[in-house]
Amino acid sequence: MVKQETGMGADKTVTEGISPARRRFITAALAAIAAAITGILGVPLAGFFALPALRRLERRWLEVGPVANFPEGEIKKALAKPLVAQVWPYQAPPVPIFVLNRGRGNFALYDIHCTHVGCPVRWNPQASRFFSPCHGGVFDKDGRVLAGPPPRPLDRYEYKTEKGIIYAGQIYEVNEKLEFVRWYHV
Amino acid sequence: MVSRMRRLLDWLEERLGTREQLTKFFYRRIPVGTTWLHTLGSAALFLILVQTVTGFFLAFYYVPSPEHAYDSVAYIQKEIPFGAFIRGLHYWGASLIVVVVFAHLLRVFFMGAYKYPRELSWVLGVILLFLVMLFGFTGYLLPWDQKAYWATVVGTHIAGTAPLVGDYLWRILQGGEEVGVRTLGRFYTAHVLILPAFLYAFILVHISMVIYQGIAPMPKRDLAFVRKEDYGRLYEASKQRGETFLEHLLRDSTVSFFLLLLLVWMAATWKVPMEEVADPTSTEYVPRPEWYFYFLFEMLWLFWGKWVPIATFYIPLALVLLLLLLPFYDRTPGRSPLKRPIASGFAVVTLVIMAALTYQGATAPLPPRSIIPQEAKALPVELVKGREVYEAQGCSACHVVKGRGTAAGPDLTRIGAGRDIEWLKRFLRNPTAVKPGSPMPPYRDLPEEDMDALVSYLASLK
Repeated sequence: MVKQETGMGADKTVTEGISPARRRFITAALAAIAAAITGILGVPLAGFFALPALRRLERRWLEVGPVANFPEGEIKKALAKPLVAQVWPYQAPPVPIFVLNRGRGNFALYDIHCTHVGCPVRWNPQASRFFSPCHGGVFDKDGRVLAGPPPRPLDRYEYKTEKGIIYAGQIYEVNEKLEFVRWYHV
Repeated sequence: MVSRMRRLLDWLEERLGTREQLTKFFYRRIPVGTTWLHTLGSAALFLILVQTVTGFFLAFYYVPSPEHAYDSVAYIQKEIPFGAFIRGLHYWGASLIVVVVFAHLLRVFFMGAYKYPRELSWVLGVILLFLVMLFGFTGYLLPWDQKAYWATVVGTHIAGTAPLVGDYLWRILQGGEEVGVRTLGRFYTAHVLILPAFLYAFILVHISMVIYQGIAPMPKRDLAFVRKEDYGRLYEASKQRGETFLEHLLRDSTVSFFLLLLLVWMAATWKVPMEEVADPTSTEYVPRPEWYFYFLFEMLWLFWGKWVPIATFYIPLALVLLLLLLPFYDRTPGRSPLKRPIASGFAVVTLVIMAALTYQGATAPLPPRSIIPQEAKALPVELVKGREVYEAQGCSACHVVKGRGTAAGPDLTRIGAGRDIEWLKRFLRNPTAVKPGSPMPPYRDLPEEDMDALVSYLASLK
């Protein structure tokens, strides 16, 4: 038996039972079937997996608490309650927020996660600074970076006050001048 | 008994050609000089089998929901007979696998076993290493304690810093906008269904390749430097002088057995650490990863501000690509580590850096804690106030004194030996005026009285 290379490197004695045209047709048919199966199962599965995670939550407000809880000039940690019942889990866990009352109805609401890699920052009232416990990030009362690796000031919540109650909305990122840059991870 | 065995083999032989397959497998020749170091791959496989079996059984009791996960693990640990032991096997086994798999990688690297014709075995091996790391990452969220929760928060934040896809990655990993019930579901599914499926599929292919190509020869004598065209002849010659695989199987089994003994000893002696239940609202917790992620975690110290993605994305990506593509850019004929000094040198430097970072992570100072009673007594009265100011101002958030604090800034244990009161005072009021470019935040508004107490305390540290 003399082996002879064909297009696919196959042994001719094996491939000669079928015409090249027929072989091409079958190859194409197999590819089409494989693609169809992948599409039919793959598209719904990919959507099932990824879309709920990518969906932006409808604007939900968190009840932070009455203005009276937050003395002027001080930073307090609040556990904010989501107001709208979530789709699931129905009982949404409380959200920790640092609230600075800047006076005259002005507030700053900070996300507790360091902007470096997300460790929980702690407020030290004597030093009047936020400290991250991981890589030495330090922030001042306005959330500006004083030291360490954090790439931007503390992220903030948009907020509103209605009938003496503070509500927090979405988180956004700010630049060194504390101006809005973009919504958080959107 | 023997004749029954023989009859069974005959029965199988007639239908499946078993005897020929088994003979080919067990009596195949292996190259001369195959050593105990060549048992690391099979040892990794053995440990993975142990993880699989202990994992099956843990899954009987474990409940993957934030409401029940922690309690179900505590139940396994405290109430179920052998529970602490089985969980111990699974927990310490994870660390052991990382060690063994990494040692296997080093063995293959330094013996040049990734070279022709085993390039794809290497690529699959690197993928297996990443799968093992992913097992670790997804596994330690499952107990849902503080360490689990915050390590995952840090993990998803790091993923979120990736350019372009960071936001999507952050959401997809978490299954939403926070680490919560969906994250736990995802990590659990990955840990017990998806990753095992891929792990075993890749292991099967990896091992098939080893059987098809044979164990890589020792890079010694005529095999220390092999041109592609000479490889087949030299390898055959080496096999002619070598043992049968059965001999090596004894070494494989011995190593696996002693690893099991070691693992049993660890599980029986060392308690699996378990912290408080996860609390997303806590702002007092100090996150730390598992030890095998220390080198990544500690690297985060080094890149600040807009350079953060270098540590969180670009260096890890570069390491992944360098490892994965190694056989395709290093195609020199040298196989002995001595015949390829550049590759060996680069590897040694990388290893030293990784070891140093891991050491730094392992010996990181204890979290800052307010003044310890004995220490307070030991301090002279006039310094107590200064120590209190030190604690109150959060100095320990960035500085270490006698092994306590965070090593972001200089260790102050002996600061008084080099700096006097006047210098310290000037520096604290306006750091950059004294030391240009100092990252130390200024303490301009500290009352004079507190400042005096603080610098007296600091100057006393000698």
